[in-house]
Amino acid sequence: MVTNVTNLSRSGLYDWMAQRVSAVVLAAYFLFLIGYIVANPGIEYTQWHALFASNWMRIFSLLALVALGAHAWVGMWTIATDYLTPMSFGKSATAIRFLFQAVCGVAMFAYFVWGVQILWGI
Amino acid sequence: MLFALGKSLGSEEGFGEVKAYLTSPLAKFVIWALLSALLYHLVAGVRHLIMDMGVGETLEGGKLGSKIVLAISVVLIVLAGVWIW
Repeated sequence: MVTNVTNLSRSGLYDWMAQRVSAVVLAAYFLFLIGYIVANPGIEYTQWHALFASNWMRIFSLLALVALGAHAWVGMWTIATDYLTPMSFGKSATAIRFLFQAVCGVAMFAYFVWGVQILWGI
Repeated sequence: MLFALGKSLGSEEGFGEVKAYLTSPLAKFVIWALLSALLYHLVAGVRHLIMDMGVGETLEGGKLGSKIVLAISVVLIVLAGVWIW
């Protein structure tokens, strides 16, 4: 029976691509944020608020948040299908892995909604 | 991290609170630990992308690549520590 239906797109190649595209987005976002904070030591509230209130930063942040969800999903899928297997858990492996992935999925969805609330609440 | 972001953006008082909290040694250490993990993940990920392009795919290249990743990560992690403290 095929129980391996929890990858992101039903296509390994597409997952592979999603992993890499989201990686580049996340790298760009991280490097930008770190660079911004390093370049602006002792930053004050007004400047910090203005940065995240700007439209392009909202788009960039939302893009990074979506990329984080996809990136983490593919990553956790890889770990779960590598290690939470019948070889180590016997018959209950699929149930354990499904539960693990469900927790990951709920966490990522929660982070996404939370992030949207923060970005649009300011 | 999202909690800190939300609080720092929510109000000027919240921003001050987060800023004050980040001066404590424990908070600095936690930030450093998180930053270290992220930096290592980033450097190792860039290595993956380089290997996807077909560079360093031999056994020798793989060994060398992993050493380079460790070396660059250590340098960045030390720099991050210097920056935080």
